Amino acid sequence: MKQSFVFSGSGGQGIMSAGITLAQAAIDMGKHATYLPEYGPEQRGGSAKCTVVISDEPIVSPLPRLCDNLIVMNELAYKKFKDDVKDGGVLLVNSCRISDPDRRDGLSVISAPVDDIALEVGNDKAANVILIGILIGATDIVSEEAFKLSLQEKFKNKKPGILEMNLNALAKGIELGRHHRK
Amino acid sequence: MGDKKFMKGNNAIAEAAVRAGCRFFAGYPITPQNEIPEYLSWRLPEVGGAFVQGESEVASINMVYGAAAMGTRALTSSSGPGISLKAEGISYLAAAALPAVIVNISRGGPGLGSIQPAQSDYLQATKALGHGGFHAMVFAPNSAQEAVDLVYNAWDYAERDRNPVFILMDGCLGNIMEEVDLPPMKELNDEDIPGWALTRRNDPERDWQLSLTPIYTEEMLEGLNAMAGEMYKSWETEDVKYEEFMLDDAEYVVVAYGIASRVSKEAILKLREQGYKVGLIRPITLFPFPKKVIHDLDYSKVKGIIDVEMTLPAQMHDDIALQVLERCPIYEYGRSGGCLLDDDGVYEALLDIVSGGENNG
Amino acid sequence: MAEYKRSSLIASAPSGYCPGCLHSLATRLISDVLDELGQAQNSLNVISVGCSALNIKYWGGDFLSVAHGRAPAAATGIKRVNPERLVFAYQGDGDLAAIGLAEIMSAANRGENFTVIFANNQTYGMTGGQMAPTTLEGQVTTTTVNGRDPSTTGYPLKMCELISTLKAPAYVARFALNSPKGINQARAGIKKAFQLQMQGKGFTFVELLTNCPTNWHLSPLKTLEYMDTNTIPYFTPGIYKDCEVDAE
Repeated sequence: MKQSFVFSGSGGQGIMSAGITLAQAAIDMGKHATYLPEYGPEQRGGSAKCTVVISDEPIVSPLPRLCDNLIVMNELAYKKFKDDVKDGGVLLVNSCRISDPDRRDGLSVISAPVDDIALEVGNDKAANVILIGILIGATDIVSEEAFKLSLQEKFKNKKPGILEMNLNALAKGIELGRHHRK
Repeated sequence: MGDKKFMKGNNAIAEAAVRAGCRFFAGYPITPQNEIPEYLSWRLPEVGGAFVQGESEVASINMVYGAAAMGTRALTSSSGPGISLKAEGISYLAAAALPAVIVNISRGGPGLGSIQPAQSDYLQATKALGHGGFHAMVFAPNSAQEAVDLVYNAWDYAERDRNPVFILMDGCLGNIMEEVDLPPMKELNDEDIPGWALTRRNDPERDWQLSLTPIYTEEMLEGLNAMAGEMYKSWETEDVKYEEFMLDDAEYVVVAYGIASRVSKEAILKLREQGYKVGLIRPITLFPFPKKVIHDLDYSKVKGIIDVEMTLPAQMHDDIALQVLERCPIYEYGRSGGCLLDDDGVYEALLDIVSGGENNG
Repeated sequence: MAEYKRSSLIASAPSGYCPGCLHSLATRLISDVLDELGQAQNSLNVISVGCSALNIKYWGGDFLSVAHGRAPAAATGIKRVNPERLVFAYQGDGDLAAIGLAEIMSAANRGENFTVIFANNQTYGMTGGQMAPTTLEGQVTTTTVNGRDPSTTGYPLKMCELISTLKAPAYVARFALNSPKGINQARAGIKKAFQLQMQGKGFTFVELLTNCPTNWHLSPLKTLEYMDTNTIPYFTPGIYKDCEVDAE
């Protein structure tokens, strides 16, 4: 199975981090993955986008035109990339910033208040983990266990509270994603 | 057991260089190659090497020139605009017969261009890396892993030929993260330092002079130019590298290198599923160019060559045409300016060509 | 009393320098000091472009010849990977103060542990006497046929003054080679610079005011007088920076 993901939003919203952790988790599960970031020239606040391809086979091209899963964190990115998801794909939007996402036929739309959940969890930097949680809940692309291991590895040298906060964010994301499981 | 890591292409190049024995880097910030100097700024001191952030690309390549003259495996990296500035130093490396490795993580051009990826520097890399009519061997990997493998061996070629080696890779491959299997650290000793190097090692009683110069008498320079010509010819028979993909029965042959070859492969796989006989020749060395494989195609079967590049107009076209010799049409497809090739775009363009336009609307 | 003999690093070949040119003297001084310090074998001359490049014909020690203006960059690469060698660059004024201004200032600012000997004769000698960044106001050259006009070409660059504003350099000094006194001072200055380098003190810079009989269109003797009346009043000789004195 091959699945592609585009994460988009503005710099500082955890877009790149979400892509890398997802790809890393897939690799930890023994799958193949590519992660390709695209930056604007701005260091802060510019547009941020990354493409992740995950597959059981070695990945030939890392540059799909349309993705299976489009994750959008703000209105600007939504307007720019909304047509880049395949028919039958998943559109995951941050409902705190995108009020009325396209509901074209065949698209599974997940509208989640990612910013609000991040505040609930206590850190707006947890948005990326929430996004992955939702994807884990809604699809089987990576396992919860593999991703937890990736998080443990990533935060092993940080203060203990950071890992717990991220695991909490992950749980909330997964719970939300499960409601959208097909 | 290998050393597998999920790494960004730029970081993988940097680590591969260290493991190849590179102990000197000088460079100047430019997107999309910044991870290479950033990585080496902390990594080289760990292994007893030196990192210098130069005041310019011009200075950086000349620092490499100095370090290379000492027999140290030296590296610099940049992107198009910076490679133009390095042209002076690369020419001097060739003139003084010094080995070094230069990496170009290319972006849109000309001029400042865009910071987004593009394959816009093929002509610069293969035809004119600097003044004076010299060539460097040009390697064009199409994955982080292949970049590691080619960089790992690059100094072996550079030292064998006493000539710079060039790695051409676009910003996509520089910034992509993929799994790479890292080779072991090459342990180089004093005995591995070439005899011509300007070090004083092992011979305090030495009574001969060591010197390296890019300046020669007319006769010497002519002789060296002629020798270089012979060397380039030998590369064509000894060192040319390319990959063939589904070529045996191909009626249409895509020629693409680097990132374009991967997107093309994806499109070819899809076209094959539909019964179209499409294959691929992927140059891995852009100089020496894989002339023979293109020249020797069976043109009674091949109906067209398709040059796919992430730049406009296609820059490899003339090198291909010199081998095709009008025995079939040469088509081109590309994106440019930092707009990326994508699977569907290449697929549609190829389909349009191989179906003889019957898919047009 | 010093013994008068051929310097070990001057090969027995014609120098290629014009009669009366002080480049010959400058390189002779460098060679003598290296002999005196027992560093002749260990030294590496980074040869720049311009008349200084004629060094490749008659410099008998190890050398690396490099691109115009880039000697401080190449020397940086050399010294970083081979710190044991005594490394010096020998640069003229066009090379150092025009095309190589970024390289000299940056190497000085990094405090690179090598020595730059700067031969300042206020003109591009090898290419035929064009205006250099150090050409004096009103001086006639082949690109300032009516004399250097500061309103369009600026003023002569004072490199010792510029470099001595930096914190890193260990030693910055200027000497004039048109008198026995100046020559002796220059010899002492070059020795001091090399000694500081051997002690790892960082960047050392010795400017030598020289001449160009051919392009100044003066006899060798007249050039020495010209230096007294024109060059020295503008480019004041002296020690501009000395880490040992400054530290006291």
